[in-house]
Amino acid sequence: MTKFHPAPEQLKQFAQGALSPVEAIMISAHCDMCARCQHVVKTETAQQANHVLSDSPSNYTEHIRQDLDSMLASITQLPKARPFRSSRIPPSTIELDGRRFSVPRTLRKFIPTMGNWSGLVGRLWQAPVDIGASGAANFIYMGPGGGVPEHTHRGFEFTLVIDGEFDDGINHYAAGDFIAMDEEHTHTPRSDDPHGCLVFSVLDQPLHFTSGIARLLNPFSHVFFR
Amino acid sequence: MLVGIPLEQSNSVVKPKDCAGEMSEYIVAVAEGRCKRSFARVFSYFAPRLRSYALKQMGNEALAMELVQDTMSNVWQKAHLFNAEKGSPSTWIFTIARNIRFDMLRKLQNRKEDICSDDLWPVLCEQTADANETSLDEQITLEQIGFMFESLPIKQKAVIEAIYIDGKSQQEVADELSIPLGTVKSRTRLALQRLKGMLQDHD
Ligand SMILES: [Zn+2]
Repeated sequence: MTKFHPAPEQLKQFAQGALSPVEAIMISAHCDMCARCQHVVKTETAQQANHVLSDSPSNYTEHIRQDLDSMLASITQLPKARPFRSSRIPPSTIELDGRRFSVPRTLRKFIPTMGNWSGLVGRLWQAPVDIGASGAANFIYMGPGGGVPEHTHRGFEFTLVIDGEFDDGINHYAAGDFIAMDEEHTHTPRSDDPHGCLVFSVLDQPLHFTSGIARLLNPFSHVFFR
Repeated sequence: MLVGIPLEQSNSVVKPKDCAGEMSEYIVAVAEGRCKRSFARVFSYFAPRLRSYALKQMGNEALAMELVQDTMSNVWQKAHLFNAEKGSPSTWIFTIARNIRFDMLRKLQNRKEDICSDDLWPVLCEQTADANETSLDEQITLEQIGFMFESLPIKQKAVIEAIYIDGKSQQEVADELSIPLGTVKSRTRLALQRLKGMLQDHD
């Protein structure tokens, strides 16, 4: 059961088209999994459309009028869109260790860009995805009992739970939950779900590990993986 | 045959919801019969409005016109996807424009900052071609890293611990241990090399 939703203001800004592309992708993917927010966005979009497109265009120059005229002429030369050939429809699932996970509709178009899974410390797996926007996007799978060492953030971290459940010492999350973290949050994600937990995550700055031996990881990224 | 768009003055005061029924019929006519006349009506109503919206959002005439062109092309080419029962023409067209704007912004941002994923997720990556080739139990664990750390020569361990776990500067460590800064630096370098070697031998 989804408990953690984007803030009402975020949903409103999404409907207005005022969010950054990264945030928009995350909100849209959450809405794929959450009927409640989907409904809010739908209602808000209808209001916005009526409001935004009410602005009566004024002071037209002859130049703009001509541009629009020739635009109309060129558009009506275009053929009707051909129905999607099945080979062009992106896959709707991803696979890890013989298991298939259904991916929210918004994220499906990125599946073809997905890199290989790589194993990380602590029963973690990650596969990078190119969302074509600033920030690093990954599918991350926490195996049963696995997790990420305690860390804080240098920028934003958006997470959407796709399958299973995890706990980060602050809250317990399940499929559909949307989590936004920043410099002010320190947490320790860990999944005790017997089936593990798959999330989609976007970061704009490196994590900063905050406790014990995990702090050794901070220099390693720079020394070893440049 | 099309001869210009009738940008009638009266058009500009009609609210989207007041002409929804009329616009729906035009879009259906485009879907069913590729009717250019009907499309011209939809275009002359929405294109100037989309341009105003896009200009506010993108702040650039060329990008605004690109957004209008892409949006209205979609309306022409995908009119058969419009469903009046699911929403009004303005909601449908606005949603198309909104999605196109997000895509345009993504393309503008793309490659502007080329950040490597490994830099952002500084956890030790054991590169494997395929998750299915390695069992989930064979991964390196934090405990193993702790073990590697414990196996460092005692002098190197002290330096690494002070710098990376306690967060001290190299100068502070030199002062505390009463050794030259150069020695702290070389011990750090040797320790990291050793750890790196152990990680590579892990497989
Ligand atoms: Zn929701």
